[in-house]
Amino acid sequence: MSYLDVIDTLQSVADGVLFGATYSLLGIGFTLVFGVMHKINLSYAAASIGAAYASLIVLSVVKAPAIFIFLLAGLAGGIIGFMIYVVCFRFIPQANPLATLMSTVGALLLIDEIIVHATVGIPVPYPALFSDVIVNAGPFTLRGDLMFMFALGCLSMLLLLVLLYRTKLGIATRAVAQQPVAAQLCGISIPRINGLTFVITGVVGGIAGAMIGAAIGVLSPLLSLPLTTKGLIVTVIGGLGSIPGAIIAGLLVGGFENLFQYFRGVTERDLYVMLLLFGFLVFRPGGIFSPAAGRD
Amino acid sequence: MDFYLGLAQIVGVHTLLGLSAYCVLLTGQVSLAQAGFFAIGAYVAAMLTVLAGWHIVPAIAAASFVAGATACAVSFPALRVKGLMLVVATLAFGEAVRLFFFNFDYQVAKGEVKIGPAGGEGFRQIRFFPENGWSTLDVLIFIWLFVALVMAGLWWMDRSRAGAVLRAVGEDEVAAQSAGINVTAVKVAAMTVGGFIAGLGGGIFAHYTAHIEHAQFGVALATFAIAYPILGGLSSVFGTLIAVVFVQGFLIEGLRFLGDWRNLLFGGLILLAMNVRPRGLIDAATIAAVKRMRTSNKEPGNARTQGAE
Repeated sequence: MSYLDVIDTLQSVADGVLFGATYSLLGIGFTLVFGVMHKINLSYAAASIGAAYASLIVLSVVKAPAIFIFLLAGLAGGIIGFMIYVVCFRFIPQANPLATLMSTVGALLLIDEIIVHATVGIPVPYPALFSDVIVNAGPFTLRGDLMFMFALGCLSMLLLLVLLYRTKLGIATRAVAQQPVAAQLCGISIPRINGLTFVITGVVGGIAGAMIGAAIGVLSPLLSLPLTTKGLIVTVIGGLGSIPGAIIAGLLVGGFENLFQYFRGVTERDLYVMLLLFGFLVFRPGGIFSPAAGRD
Repeated sequence: MDFYLGLAQIVGVHTLLGLSAYCVLLTGQVSLAQAGFFAIGAYVAAMLTVLAGWHIVPAIAAASFVAGATACAVSFPALRVKGLMLVVATLAFGEAVRLFFFNFDYQVAKGEVKIGPAGGEGFRQIRFFPENGWSTLDVLIFIWLFVALVMAGLWWMDRSRAGAVLRAVGEDEVAAQSAGINVTAVKVAAMTVGGFIAGLGGGIFAHYTAHIEHAQFGVALATFAIAYPILGGLSSVFGTLIAVVFVQGFLIEGLRFLGDWRNLLFGGLILLAMNVRPRGLIDAATIAAVKRMRTSNKEPGNARTQGAE
């Protein structure tokens, strides 16, 4: 392996890690909903893409600087998240995990089809920020848009952690996640917290959707199923319900997949991501940060 | 007429797929790997008839055994985890199988053309039915023979001790374990039977579509596989059949006149169905009602006392 190969390898890993910030955000969304409700929200990635589309629609009506697109996407994501909570979870018995699994699949298909219907099936270009900035660090080049995305992802994760660990709402959310009955006895309304969790994860997802759109350059409903798969893989590798785990696992999966894309080509790339997951399931089934034993 | 025969073929194959997920769901496990087993069955059966020149019956039998063996092998590591972890593990397995066939290139020169699975282009030359002069109706009868066989087998199993054991594990694992049931063995057995049925469905699917490629066996198909039994309800095998007819016959073909709007309605109706009937279209209450109706028809005197209660 020559010097240039090493440089190229490191370069592709670095690009992957930067893009992995979006996987981290998606993983956080899955993990938070699972932590609080012990339910899977399969429509989450589709809702994130939907929020990115919604931000485009708003931006085409109102003239605003391109940076607002991320705020708008977060806002739209929050609204969509709440709607998903109402149609998929609120009125379905909590004791029946299969029913909510299926209803979120219905929501996934519905969101995808609304997008296809509204765009006549044509992918929509998405504005990238700082795409003309390229930073040269020694032999490496770092793309400005990816760096901006990474910074934005880190900022949103930081805000989320502050929200969860430094505010009253965060304490209530974590209380419901740990012991729903005790939380209810303390006067916390569980439906309210569940709904708010969906709003929070929706905002995070909306930002992730906008970041994905900005990094790839186009938005398409075809993105939602692969992103669902990646988000779930990140959730499991990071450890269910663990936010730091989801962050690290997202960056890990991003770097890992770009590394194998460099070595083995785009068709085999995801095969190795699955192998990474199986490796974790066999040797560390609880994920990077497995929760204390006795809870699932 | 051919359209309806074709539709009945699709319903038959999807019923097999749904029943394969039904077996696994009875034990309370959600497996998104059924599309993977389906793909294995499809590729193995097609390769046996096209490349090895087998008859279709031994070919799909062999394909079912391969898919069942794979399911058995996969279930040992996969069943160490449960809940969401299992969903993701099986989803990843299904995707890994799909990606394997995406990269799987095994072509043999026969005459001047090369035949066999060709990676991303798929496997084209599956012509067992036309070569042997089977009409659409013959194929239809062939498919439904297997569907009837599998449904009868599962229906009988449901009424036997094995069905009770499966449901016990599905309802409450800890209680089942303390009643002396080997939970892992039950789950592995259910996965194996599910994989076997999925492989059977896949083998038939490959032969009536005549062209298979990796994209047909994606996450969407895996989701459909678990959607049928969940929508139909886990109380009876007929729930799965009714859900397949509902989805394939009504939602996909019946609403075709709506054009573009049909797809929008599709997800919406699944949402509505889950909100209105969270335990499936045919739940335990429906079955009890049907049974009551049957007994009251036989014994009118009995019905009056029941009505008075």
